[in-house]
Amino acid sequence: MLRNTTTLQRVVLSLLGGAIAIGITFFLSGSNNQLLALATAYAITILGLSFLTGWSGQISLGHSGFMAIGGYVTALWLQHFSSTPMVITLILATAAAALGGVIMGLPATKLRGPYLAGMTLAFAVALPQLPESLGPWAGGSQGISLQTPTAPHWFANLVGGGPLEIIATNYQYDAILGILVCTVAFFIVSNLFASKTGRAMRLVRDNDVAAELVGLNLPRTRTLAFAISAALSGLGGAVFAYMNGTVSPASFPYVLSISLVTYMVLGGMGTLQGAVYGGLLAVYATQITNWISNTVGIDPNSNFGLNFQNILFGGLLIVTMITAPRGLAGLIHLLKGLVQKQSTQRQQ
Amino acid sequence: MNGFLTNRILSDVLYGITNGVTIGLVALCLVLIWRSTHILNFAQGPMAMFVTYIGLTQMDHGLGFWPAALICVVVGFVFSGLTERLIVRPLYSKAEINPIVVMVGFFTVLEAVATAIWTNIPRYPVAPFSSINFQAGGNPTALSPLAVFQIVLAVGAMALVTVLFNYTKLGLQLRASALAPEVAKLLGVRVNRLLTLGWSIAGVVGAVAAVVVAINPSGMSPSMMDGIFILGFVAAAIGGLESPLGALVAGVSLGILMQFINDYWNSNYADLIAVLILIVVLMIRPQGLFTKNTARRV
Repeated sequence: MLRNTTTLQRVVLSLLGGAIAIGITFFLSGSNNQLLALATAYAITILGLSFLTGWSGQISLGHSGFMAIGGYVTALWLQHFSSTPMVITLILATAAAALGGVIMGLPATKLRGPYLAGMTLAFAVALPQLPESLGPWAGGSQGISLQTPTAPHWFANLVGGGPLEIIATNYQYDAILGILVCTVAFFIVSNLFASKTGRAMRLVRDNDVAAELVGLNLPRTRTLAFAISAALSGLGGAVFAYMNGTVSPASFPYVLSISLVTYMVLGGMGTLQGAVYGGLLAVYATQITNWISNTVGIDPNSNFGLNFQNILFGGLLIVTMITAPRGLAGLIHLLKGLVQKQSTQRQQ
Repeated sequence: MNGFLTNRILSDVLYGITNGVTIGLVALCLVLIWRSTHILNFAQGPMAMFVTYIGLTQMDHGLGFWPAALICVVVGFVFSGLTERLIVRPLYSKAEINPIVVMVGFFTVLEAVATAIWTNIPRYPVAPFSSINFQAGGNPTALSPLAVFQIVLAVGAMALVTVLFNYTKLGLQLRASALAPEVAKLLGVRVNRLLTLGWSIAGVVGAVAAVVVAINPSGMSPSMMDGIFILGFVAAAIGGLESPLGALVAGVSLGILMQFINDYWNSNYADLIAVLILIVVLMIRPQGLFTKNTARRV
């Protein structure tokens, strides 16, 4: 999609996307801004997952684990050095997750798809069990709390929120911070996609034999893809920690890994827009489910109603993967094409 | 002698074997499906769980343990075959990740449907064997009649599969259609039907594994197979995904190791150590410990 763009175009597109998203926050309620702030965390994580799956052909069922690394590094660091600027904490968390990605990615270089998927799933199952046994510094099953970013005075004055709307103002501020981080992450990935490394990764994905024959170092390319993907998920986890205000083993269950894959596929894997749709789906899934429950007439408190979300999204995942593997992004692309065709026909 | 029977190390080994045979059974399922269709069945656990709940419903209606277990096995056979026919078959020609994602979706749906029907509350189906450990000189040993039954059931299932694959004409056809589908087709083997049968047989093994898990004193719930599936995968991957014997040996060894970690260290570290062992094994021998070295042709 961004294959034939120049760096300048990518800068402009990223800035434009970020600016539009920030503009939208001014029209949203406090609770929606709160969800949007979390959505940016999930979007960055899904971008990492999508990078791995769509652009290098590997799949991970363990990205909740890398999110956990990013989230815990952030929370632990802020516990000791609470005045650290957000940028530095985010970089630390990203680096820690990248390191984890290199370790997990090392055997991945020699493995084919199913092995990697199973190994990463096992990693996601194993990791959340640790904090309980590591001692009080790790927060146990209760987790660790941290201060969510609060809006500075100039921002409150700018928005014009009085002291009564301070909570809503803070949520909007958080959402904007998340969008800024998101914009940077998406810009970096779009550049990577267009770079020589990105082309190498696509070749490895499409034809690993040919990649080897043209002299690409297969293991290094695959480990790199995995490490970058893990780093992005760690960044997502760090943003999650900031926006959620607490991290605990329950924030990163292995089921989250499966949900991340679900939202990635439904959003459209291997595309930048897909990661945005995926992030939004991740936070609005419950509301979408409730809306459908109400429309169809399912009692949300019945046994079926309580499990309807997983039935719905699991079913959607199967159907999407069999019939339309390009997800929502592909669907929107298709609709756009149809509309354009219609309008050109009308002109003729 | 009595001291020996209640010795801590021997007890750990025995508890480990009881868990290990179940891990081995799950690993065997994965290997059977991998060998026949080159798909790693991530929905293996929930599929087997679902089948035991159907058996449990029959027990609730007054059926005895043995007929209910038989129903589990039969339903496992049919359910797994249908899954191959309806969900998996459209994916054979697709990229490697498609079947993985679809089976992950199936995992989610099955667990959610089971929770919707039967709730999260654990159930305790009773097998006609006592879970009270044998005594030796007034002290309990690590084995109960129930554990012996679980081991016998698991080993019996493994033995049947081995005989089926190695000493029957059907087994020969199954192996042929997995190894060289084109050649098997030319020789008159109905390959598609045998792929379905391969899944069905794995479904039976899975059902036995789930029955063994369900009659544990800790009871059964919709997520009961999740943890054991992970260990089963680790065992299967260490064994090389191609080798039934490797899956069994790795499964039992892993069960014993996990028990020692639980007893002497901390059960929360057990899964992570399993993952680390897997990473190390795969880095040294990516093809697993029990399969012959095969290079990919370039």
